[in-house]
Amino acid sequence: MSNSILVVGGGFSGITAALEAAELGYEVYIVEKSPFLGGRVAQLNKYFPKLCPPSCGLEIQFQRIKKNPNVKFFTQATVDSVAGEAGNFTVTLSIAPRCTAPSSAELSTLAEGLEGEVTDEFNFGLSTRKPLYMDTPFAFPNRYVLEKDNLSQADKLKVGSSVHCDLNESEKSVVLNVGSIVLATGWKPYDVTNLTNLGAGQIKNCVSNMQLERLASPNGPTNGAIQRPTDGKAPKKIAFVQCAGSRDQNHLNFCSYICCMASLKQALYVREQYPDAEVTIYYIDLRTPGRYDKFMRKATADEMIHLVKGKVAGVESDAATGDVIVEVEDAVKGTKKKVRHDMVVLATGMQPSLSGEKNPFGVQLDEDGFVIGGEAKGIFAAGCATKPLDVMRTAQSGTSAALKAIQTVRGR
Amino acid sequence: MAQSVRIQPDLQFVKELQAVGGESLKKCYQCATCSVACPISPASNPYPRKEMVWASWGLKDKLINNPDIWLCHNCGTCSDLCPRGAKPGDLLSALRNMAYQRINVFPTIGKWMSSPKYLINLIAIPAILWAVIWFISANYYAGSAFPVGPDGEIVYGNLFFGDYFIDPIFMLTFFGMVACFFKGTRNLIKSFKPEGTTLVLGKQKPLLLCLKDVLFEEIMTHKKFKDCGDDRSDRKAGHMLVFYAFLALMVVTGVVAVGHWGGYLFHSIAIHTPLNLTNPIKILANVGAIMLIVGMAVLTNRRRSQEDAKTKSNYYDWYLLNVIWAVALTGVLSELSRLAGIPQIAYTVYYMHLVAVWMLFAYLPWSKLGHVVYRTVALTYVRHMGRR
Repeated sequence: MSNSILVVGGGFSGITAALEAAELGYEVYIVEKSPFLGGRVAQLNKYFPKLCPPSCGLEIQFQRIKKNPNVKFFTQATVDSVAGEAGNFTVTLSIAPRCTAPSSAELSTLAEGLEGEVTDEFNFGLSTRKPLYMDTPFAFPNRYVLEKDNLSQADKLKVGSSVHCDLNESEKSVVLNVGSIVLATGWKPYDVTNLTNLGAGQIKNCVSNMQLERLASPNGPTNGAIQRPTDGKAPKKIAFVQCAGSRDQNHLNFCSYICCMASLKQALYVREQYPDAEVTIYYIDLRTPGRYDKFMRKATADEMIHLVKGKVAGVESDAATGDVIVEVEDAVKGTKKKVRHDMVVLATGMQPSLSGEKNPFGVQLDEDGFVIGGEAKGIFAAGCATKPLDVMRTAQSGTSAALKAIQTVRGR
Repeated sequence: MAQSVRIQPDLQFVKELQAVGGESLKKCYQCATCSVACPISPASNPYPRKEMVWASWGLKDKLINNPDIWLCHNCGTCSDLCPRGAKPGDLLSALRNMAYQRINVFPTIGKWMSSPKYLINLIAIPAILWAVIWFISANYYAGSAFPVGPDGEIVYGNLFFGDYFIDPIFMLTFFGMVACFFKGTRNLIKSFKPEGTTLVLGKQKPLLLCLKDVLFEEIMTHKKFKDCGDDRSDRKAGHMLVFYAFLALMVVTGVVAVGHWGGYLFHSIAIHTPLNLTNPIKILANVGAIMLIVGMAVLTNRRRSQEDAKTKSNYYDWYLLNVIWAVALTGVLSELSRLAGIPQIAYTVYYMHLVAVWMLFAYLPWSKLGHVVYRTVALTYVRHMGRR
């Protein structure tokens, strides 16, 4: 029997659930598969609707974790198996080696000196990074990760001589006894290579909305300068393609909820960076529910932000200029046209992380991969594992899951 | 909004449309993917998104007076990419099916053509007609229901006399069909006429020249099928084979008819059937028959392998395929069983061939094959009006 709580996923909802439970006196474990906490939020340039950076919010959460001895977290960790029932789960974790000392040593000079280059998945392939790295300067834990598989022979010698690196560290297995589980496994951007009529990810200057977040982020590959990936040119004409793979039975059959607001937000910060740039948002219906209506009005008050009703159904690149040509019917005017843009952003949606992945928790998933069961067993889902949510609602759902988890373990 | 537009939906019309193949139309959420996906839809007022919203709203007048439904060559790309499974391609096909019922004379036949429950009526007419002729000829002229010549040879003309039965009946059927098409075409063009007056800027190409262009640039070459996409080349090949097979068989029929009836006037051009297998006309006939069967196999196979979730074949599609199959198979079997010298089978199959051929021709304007004329008319009309 245990009254500890396991939180799977160290994104915004997972962190929130963990902190809410920990601050009420319960012992909490966070299991995060990547080397750092913060999840998708850490990749953002700005949140909507306040347009503040993600460090605002994440910094506070990280401080709360640091100060609370009830929260323990494992990074680079995955859940292998879950056995038992509510009140008494036995969970086995695998923890990949980080190969750096726990002292949070400053290794940037050592990292710079390495010759290996690895595609940076944190930047969605827009840049490369060293095999000794941190995702962002404010990454938490603020401790480098060393990927020994990506080291050259010379790199290995350099790294081997550092007291802060340990190439012999190996994978560990940890068994936890917990009373309840919160699933905050989050989401992944829908794979653009499936969108054959929208360039299938082959057109360099046609980026996804998450790629644009990285491009615009001060800690991103261009230090915040929004540039075309092919030639670094400052875009003067940018298009946003809404519902790129969402609300589509051939792809994600549901509305991803955040993409309209995300595109409006991005339109605003593009316009802020380039006061003469022209932005066009091609949409089916603009979905800005509740208080977001005000944000939509703010964005559309900008004369250089155009809204065109009609889904883009064709994207091609002009090899000579690097421009991207979208084909769309303006459904209000009833005209079909091809429009040239410097850069195109696909507003891709949220696919639940568990979709197509192994599910050691034994919870029921719907056909899209969202968690729909598990509560009777003492397993509670939070955040985008349940449905597409914005950050604010993700936090709320984390709190809600924490409350349910506490009710399950209380008095045991 | 200076003025609000009041939509008056015709709900009965929506139900009828759903019944003839447009059942998924209500799923549409107007994203306009279809209009862009369509490789042959024009830039101004492209189809089929506008048809989808008209159908959802039950705007009957707009839909039935719309030449665009005939511009679509039903490749199914729009339905494949449709995010909601609303099947815009099927809707246009349903609208054409509705047009066959609406623009033609004798609406009863149109109704019979719309559902398998009336199929028996359509078969009964020629079945009785040719059975009566078989009975009369066997009892009063041929002397047997399965007559054979002195050497045991089978000559269909000795039972179903060309001059007295086959030719008069088929000529009447043919010219009747042409008359129905004439009336139907007039109705169709009248329905296309926009309200009010049309202002024509510049020189307008005469209708006949437009028809010539349509025939030579689009139909002979099957250009639109090619534009519909290379990934559907089997569809183009199948349709082209069937089209040219019918053309070949039409030439054969024409030559034989001229030779036969002209032979009474000028003995030098007389043609007598059955023709020798090495006769060029017979070779053309046999090549045409093989082309027809190969083309039909391609088209039928395509339809059978279609995903119902994307494109659903309707009764009009299957009726036409089956009637052409019946014509082709009974035609080939007639020839084979005649050459094999089995009179019972040969005459029975030939009788079935007559029934099938009569069904193909007599009901042509009301069947999906009516597109031979009506699509040509619509393509000519839109060309004349400058819409491409």
